Formats: sequence, structure tokens, C-alpha cells
Amino acid sequence: MAARRDSVAITGSVLGLASLLFAWLTLKPNRLLSGTGLELWNSAGWDDTVIILVLWSVCLGLSFAGNKRLHAFVLGVLANVILIYTFVLAGHTAGNLLQTAPQFARISLGAGFWLTIAAAYILIHASRRRLQDVRIWQGFITWSALIAFVVMLLAGCFDDLAIMQEYNARSDRFEQEFFQHIRLFVQPVAIGTIIGVLLGIWAARSRIAEHPIFFTTNIVQTIPGLALLGLLLPILSALADDYPILEDWGIRGVGPAPAIIALTIYSLLPIVRNTFVALRQVDPAVINAGVGMGMSRFQVFYSIEVPLSAPLVLEGIRIAAIVAVGLAILAALIGGGGLGFFVMEGFNQGASDLILVGAIPIVVLAFVVDAAMRLAGRLATPKGIAAGES
Amino acid sequence: MIRIENVTKRYSETIAVDDLSLEVDDGKVCVLIGPSGCGKTTTLRMINRLIEPTSGHIYIDGKETRQMKPEKLRRYIGYAIQSVGLFPHMTVAANIAVVPKLLHWKRQRISDRVEELLTLVGLDPTEYARKYPNQLSGGEAQRIGVARALAADPPVLLMDEPFGAVDPLTRERLQAQFARIQQDLKKTVILVTHDLDEAIRLADQIAIMNSGKLVQYDTPEIILSKPASKFVHDFVGTDRALKRLSRINIEGYIKPASSINVRTPIQEAVSSLGKLLYLWVVDDHEYLLGWLDRRSINKSTSVERSMVSTDLSDMAVRSGSTLREALSRMLGLGFKFVPVVDESGRLIGELSLKDIEAATSEFEK
Repeated sequence: MAARRDSVAITGSVLGLASLLFAWLTLKPNRLLSGTGLELWNSAGWDDTVIILVLWSVCLGLSFAGNKRLHAFVLGVLANVILIYTFVLAGHTAGNLLQTAPQFARISLGAGFWLTIAAAYILIHASRRRLQDVRIWQGFITWSALIAFVVMLLAGCFDDLAIMQEYNARSDRFEQEFFQHIRLFVQPVAIGTIIGVLLGIWAARSRIAEHPIFFTTNIVQTIPGLALLGLLLPILSALADDYPILEDWGIRGVGPAPAIIALTIYSLLPIVRNTFVALRQVDPAVINAGVGMGMSRFQVFYSIEVPLSAPLVLEGIRIAAIVAVGLAILAALIGGGGLGFFVMEGFNQGASDLILVGAIPIVVLAFVVDAAMRLAGRLATPKGIAAGES
Repeated sequence: MIRIENVTKRYSETIAVDDLSLEVDDGKVCVLIGPSGCGKTTTLRMINRLIEPTSGHIYIDGKETRQMKPEKLRRYIGYAIQSVGLFPHMTVAANIAVVPKLLHWKRQRISDRVEELLTLVGLDPTEYARKYPNQLSGGEAQRIGVARALAADPPVLLMDEPFGAVDPLTRERLQAQFARIQQDLKKTVILVTHDLDEAIRLADQIAIMNSGKLVQYDTPEIILSKPASKFVHDFVGTDRALKRLSRINIEGYIKPASSINVRTPIQEAVSSLGKLLYLWVVDDHEYLLGWLDRRSINKSTSVERSMVSTDLSDMAVRSGSTLREALSRMLGLGFKFVPVVDESGRLIGELSLKDIEAATSEFEK
């Protein structure tokens, strides 16, 4: 059989093997002090180390073995097995270690653990790429480890890990800041969508407006996020001082308002740009035909231009939303709350696990938003535009 | 009737259309032709008010277009363009249904009409109605474009190089189909083209334009035989006689042809051939299969083995063709006779080079 190497899968497998060399868990005397790293064999034991080693080696072999769909599927399944196995080991080993450890000891996840997760997802990505025509297999490979993780999380399997202990100590606050974080990116993106789409339409319609609109949005986009907040701080507090009514609305130098304003400004460029491009790429002949057949300006807009440009506009909103999810961390710096609160708090205390309590949900949120917006984009793509490809 | 009265279109310094007057009678095809930039497309687009004239008046059935709301006016004027402009996000059926929907037709009436129109332009409704434009060939798309323009059965049809964006063979087929449809529907058509052959083929009247002015407005026959100016003379070119042949249907020139059945015994075939140069060979249903001549005939075998079998599309001329097509077939094959077949391929007669020569000399007089 002619073997075709899959370089992405090889990278993943090698990374996976390499992850075994790093500390897998860290045992700390208490939540702030740094601890001693424990490799897999020092924490979980040799049996499990060998099993994981074998699994990764099989993956490496499969990466060289060929390009049959079955190979890709097995590779994806193995990656999921490794992930679930790793999750179980992490929770279980942490529990065992804590039993013999001093009272305030904490178990943190080490570089080896994170590398394992990263390597497994590289494999899953490689496998998905080759299974594009088998949606069911692809879905199975994408979701099974994730679902297992969520089930284990809810079942309390990870409660002995430091990160969960940090979370459990602040679960009320977490809930509050989590929803605050969602507000912090949903509101700006919603406002940015309304303003951005309108500006995009205006720019596409008017040669005179086009230049100043892009000049401004481009300039604003180049201001670093923190600097923009810094600029808004004095402006908004001065405004609030002069017009107390603004303060009643929550608009002042600190708090969520400046963050929401800053994030709104950042959402604008991708949305304006994509709306503009989307409208400009509509074939003029199509518009000409519509007008020539007696459609009104508005009919041309909503029955031709809107459906034909929707996918690109949604793509712009997707980019804006992902950027906003990440940038919303900065809101915590000016008292705006959000998941950034835990990140900042963790930095201040030097408690790395607390940082993760904020950071991991942000990453998850970014992925969820990305997936949801991609789905929306697919649903909004008119059938006739996709029909030719299949 | 469409009446254009002293219409001028001025763009700051340049004059696109200069004091143009033109009348097109009901049910006639008027072709606007001229070099690029002569103002033909501008003229067309002023009729449905995609462009507003600087001065002058345009009347459709006695009503001045300026008095009507542009959207309303356009819904009663079919509009087909070169790039077709089918809506890529709508099915073929939805594309055709655009104007009927704008006119608030009932759903059943619309779907009946879509089916009727697809059949009219020779596309199977069950196969094509649900397709999307990007699944169509260029020729199919242009036919849908024409069907869409005809959707609400408008009395007037404006066509801007409607057969421009396809290969010559497809174009010829679309033109023939359009001519056939027009014979039944009798729309008042204004068609813009830069292809003189297309104009001669389709037009009842040709309007030749040059730098915004109408230089001659006449039937194709007169334009070809009596060019009004040096410009027209040069424009129609030196092959006027040949071009006129494409105005003449072969119908009047078909002569009965001698043929034999393919299963005729060979001896009988030899005696039938007698002094004739050739015999057309047909099957039991009169479908043309080939021909038999002295060189090909072989007394020891059957008619089927002896005959020169032929590919119909290569050799036979279909009824409804023009003398020009018949002539080019003859010149291409080096024959002095070509068989004429009906739509389904049955032999109905033959044409001779002599008769075509006679036809040309007839209008030289």
C-alpha cells in the first residue's frame, strides 16, 4: 500500500509523546506557593504511563500508515480515548495524592497535561480534515471527548484539582462574572452590528462617505485596547461630571460603560468592512435586472442584496465577536467585571489556578461563539450559492 | 406601439443620443445596431426609464412613459440583458416568478406560468424549475433570462444583446428559437445587438445608429439593397448578397427528392438509380440514413452496405432554415445538393445550388 504521511498527525503524535517528558501534575504546599512537578509515572504510576505511551505510538504509526478514511477515523477515536483517559487520570490521581499530602496542599495541572490536550486536538483536527465527507464520523470525533469532559465536570470528578477548588470557593462570584462577561461582549457586538452595518451600507452606496468611514475605523482599530480604555477614562468622567444624567445611565470613567464603548468601537471595523465588501461584490447585472424588471429600491435591497451579502456580513460579526470575547478581559481592569476579574485577581495573588478559572471559560466561550457564528453563516448562505459546489 | 420622439440624452459634455425619433409597430421586432458607443443601449434603457432622457418624449401605446411610475412601467416591459442577471440565490422557477410576484399574481397562476414558459423556451420544467442559476449552462441561463422577461406576458420586450454571451452555435439555436417564439407571441420587441447577422435574421426593422444619431431605419431587405449612406454601406459590408440569403426561408425552394427504402433489394436499387446521380436512402419511417451513388453502389451486397451513411447534423438542412445556411452546408461539403429534413429527421425534399444561385440573381435585378 502506498503510504502517505500526514504531517499534521505526525506533529500531534510527536507532541503527545513529548508531553510525557513534562511534569503532569504539580503538588503545591498551599495555593500560592510554587510546587514540585510530578511526571506521569511519578503521579499516576508506570502502568498508566505505558498505556498512554502505547496509545501515542499507535497514533504515530497511523500517521505514517496511509490516507484511508478508516485510518483517519481510528486516529480520531484514539485521540478521544487519550483525552478521556487523561481526564480520568487527572481527577483520580489528584484525589490519591491529596490523601497523603498535608492539609493545605493543592494539585495543579502541569505542562504535560496541557500539552497532551493540545496534541490530542491536533490529531482530532488532522482526522476531521480527512473525514470531511462523513459528517457523522466527524461529529463523533469532535464531540465525544468534550461531552465526556462536561459529564465528568458536573459529576465532580475534578473536584480535587486546585482549579476546581478555586472555582468552588467562588462559584457564586463566578456565575455573576460569567454572565457579566457575556454582557460585555454581546452588547458591544450588538451595538457594533447595528452601527457597523449602517456605516457599511453607507460606504458602499456613497463614494464620498467611503473614504472617511474607513479612515476612521482603521485608525481606531490600530489603537491598542488598553490605551483606548485609558483614553476613554478621562473623557467619560469629564462628560459624567458635566452631565450628571449620564452618570445615572452608568456612563462614567470606570465600570462597564467605557469597556462596552471601547469594545463597540473595536467591533466596527470588521463589520463595516465585510458589509461594504459584501454589497460591492453583488453582481451589478443582477441589480440591473432587478431594477429593470420593476423592483423598487427597497425590494432590490431586501430581496437581492440582503440575502446575497448576509454570509459575509455574518462573517464580519463573527470576527468582531471573537475579538470582543478576548478583549472583554480588559474590562476587569477598570472595574467592569467579567471573567477578567479572576485573571486579574489571580495575577495579583500569584495564584495561577485562579487565573485559569477566568482564562479557560474565556477560551471555551470563544470557541462556542465561533462555532455558533459559523453555523449561522452556513444557514444564511443562500442555497444557490452553495449548490454549484456540491 | 412604441414611439420615440426627438429624444436626446446628454452627459455633461458628450451627447449619447442625439434627437432620435423612431416608431415600432405592434408585434414587430426592431433591432438597434451600430458600433459600440453609438447610443443603442442608452436608447433601450431610456424606454424603461433606467436612464431618463434629457429631452424628448417616449410613448408606449400612446401613453407617455414619463407619466408613469418607473417601477410600474417596468413591470409591463419585459427586460432581458446580455449578462442575464439571474438571481443566484433563487431557483429558476423563482427567477421567472419575480415579475408575476411583483404584480401579486396568485400562487397557482404563477406556477402554471413558470411551467408554461419553461416549456416555451424548450427546457423541461420538472428538471429545471428547481435548479439554481449556477447549475445552468450559458445557453440555458439565457433562455431562462428570456423566459423571465416574458413572465408577466408584457406587450413590450426590451432585449440588450440577449444572445451575446454564448458560443456561436448556441447563439444560432437561441436566435432560431426566439424567432419561432416571436412568431407565436407577436410581442413588440426592441433588441440591441452589434451582430449584423443577428439583426438581419431577427429584425422586421433595423435601426442603424452612429454617434447618437439614427442613420437609417428600414427593413433588412432595403438596408441591404439600398444603404442610405456610405456609413451604412460600409457597416453592412461587401457580402450583402450573402446576408440577404439569410433573410430567405428555404421553404419556397425545396424540391421533391428521389429516395429509396434501405431494405430495397440491391438489383432494384441499381435500376432505380438508372441515370440519376444519386438516391437518398431512408428507413421505413422516412428517416434519412444516407445516400447511394454510382461509385458507392456494389451489386454484390445490400443497399445498407453500399450506401454512404451520413451524420444528419453534418449534412441535412432542417426545415425552417435559411438559404444562407443551406448554401454554407453545400460549400462546406462540396455538394450541389443537400437533403432537407423536418424537425424529427424525416426526409422532406432537397435543395440545389442552382436554385440558390437563381434566388441571388433574382434580387440583384
